[in-house]
Amino acid sequence: MTSLVHNEMLKLLRKKRLYVIILIIAFLVPLFTYAQFKQIQTAAEKLGTDDWRTRLQQEIVDTQNRLSSSRIQDEWRKFLKVRLTQQQYYLDNDINPQAPGAPTFMRVFAENSIDLLLPLLVMVVAADLVSSEASGGTIKLLLTRPVQRWRILLSKYLALLLSVSFIVLMVGILSYLISGIVFGYGGWNLPLLTGFSVQGDELVTNSVHMVPQWQYILMEFGLVWFVCVAVGTLTFMLSVLLRSTAAVMGIMLASLIAGAILVNMVSSWESAKYFFMVNLQLTNYVSGMALPIEGMSLGFSMAVLAVWTIAALVISFVVFTKRDVY
Amino acid sequence: MKKRTLPVIIAISSFSVLLFLFGLGWAVKDQLVDTHSELQPSTKETAGNTEPSAKKDNKITVAAIGDSLTRGTGDDNGKGYVGYLIEQLKKKSGSSIAVANSAIKGERSEGLVEQLKQPQIQRQIANADVIVMTIGGNDLFRGGEALQSLDTNSIEDSRIQYIKNLEIIYGAIRKQNPKAEVFHVGLYNPFINMQESELTTAIVRDWNFAAAESAAKFEKVVYIPTFDLFQLRAEDYLYSDQFHPNAEGYKLIAERVASLITVQEEGKTK
Repeated sequence: MTSLVHNEMLKLLRKKRLYVIILIIAFLVPLFTYAQFKQIQTAAEKLGTDDWRTRLQQEIVDTQNRLSSSRIQDEWRKFLKVRLTQQQYYLDNDINPQAPGAPTFMRVFAENSIDLLLPLLVMVVAADLVSSEASGGTIKLLLTRPVQRWRILLSKYLALLLSVSFIVLMVGILSYLISGIVFGYGGWNLPLLTGFSVQGDELVTNSVHMVPQWQYILMEFGLVWFVCVAVGTLTFMLSVLLRSTAAVMGIMLASLIAGAILVNMVSSWESAKYFFMVNLQLTNYVSGMALPIEGMSLGFSMAVLAVWTIAALVISFVVFTKRDVY
Repeated sequence: MKKRTLPVIIAISSFSVLLFLFGLGWAVKDQLVDTHSELQPSTKETAGNTEPSAKKDNKITVAAIGDSLTRGTGDDNGKGYVGYLIEQLKKKSGSSIAVANSAIKGERSEGLVEQLKQPQIQRQIANADVIVMTIGGNDLFRGGEALQSLDTNSIEDSRIQYIKNLEIIYGAIRKQNPKAEVFHVGLYNPFINMQESELTTAIVRDWNFAAAESAAKFEKVVYIPTFDLFQLRAEDYLYSDQFHPNAEGYKLIAERVASLITVQEEGKTK
């Protein structure tokens, strides 16, 4: 089994996909670092002070002003109200949720890339794992070996898991290293609040507790990894089902982008919450930024993703072992 | 090269699988299993840099509180009188000026009383050299609602309540910051060109008088009249909602306030 996985990893590396992904990340992170740097600068210029309390207070007042506008949607108003309570809570507890530093950047980067960027990167690796063998014809050579089919597929899946983990780790490391040049490398022990939950349109703060940033990051990356594995598994299933890598990519891309759009509509169309793609923003539950939607919680979203993942795995294995290859 | 990198990548990846599994498990435990009931607002000592840091150099700090006028509603440039005031002060003093605009659209006097109880607002007040505010327009006009029923009794009631709140507001500001100059920009009559303008004007004058009276009870609180600014050519200085000032109107207010603030060369208010 190990040698099979080894073999699959070798194939993956030969395709140079991982390098391309690392390059993409290494290119994007400085971009965002610069953008955030600029943002902090302009904010400081506008307020004439770099005191974060003033800035947070200003954000609160801006939110309050937006709330009083008559032209905002109800869902958005609910969300803003929750945001407001949360910001006020941070302020009252004298905690700066945006204290600049590489760990903060890393955390924010992970939070923002969990629903689209990272799944896309994972998709790039997973999309052609099986379909390329089918379209290239190498699948016949592979299956003529005296190894059971499920073992072959399993080795491919394990290779996928390994490379997904590798990508997530690289995102963490690169975003830390690169942004640290600008923001400094400290801030691991910064206290952050988590455990916000939403009931109706009220923010419930009675289970709020403080965790150091390193633990917060570790938890968030665990969730990021979970999402990436789920997306990777679904792509993997499509890769088994379809011979064309382009079709796999197309379908995944369409559903991921559809997810990004649907997220904003779940409040009106409730059954959409059973789609995997609207449940990708797991980190929002940890930070308390989730849109307040009836019945959606961390447990619910993880369960939905797990069900989709397991179903995808079962389908992949059944189809792959039963299929006629010609 | 290939021979070396492959085992390394596999090792790193396997390690990261474990790491992330651990993180995931922790997240599940922390978010779903444990029910934290203890809440510690005792975080004051964890954030070591709590000292008010805003006042480190010689620059002027302006705190703005109040309603949509302080916010700048109606100004196409989005600055409002606060923005123009800052520009003028910058020119006068030649140094940079820090502004904290905490005004909220539609705020009434009782809202401001509540807002002034928040510790961060209090901090901003305490740090300020100059405080500018507008309040009362929404108490009086309630977005035009009061105009339909010019019921003198209920307007009188709200005036009494307004003055009461106003004195609480002045008191709260003075308590936080005994030194700063407070400029309260007064009320004008946006409905001066409409029917029953005599009655509305009388009410506004009445309110302004009462507010100026209470301002006089506090030290360094200046009640700035704006009624006259909008008396003759209200239509030129009002925004298309016929309620808020437009850019020109705000500039007039800003000039009036700026002329009252004296700055020394180094940038400190006298």
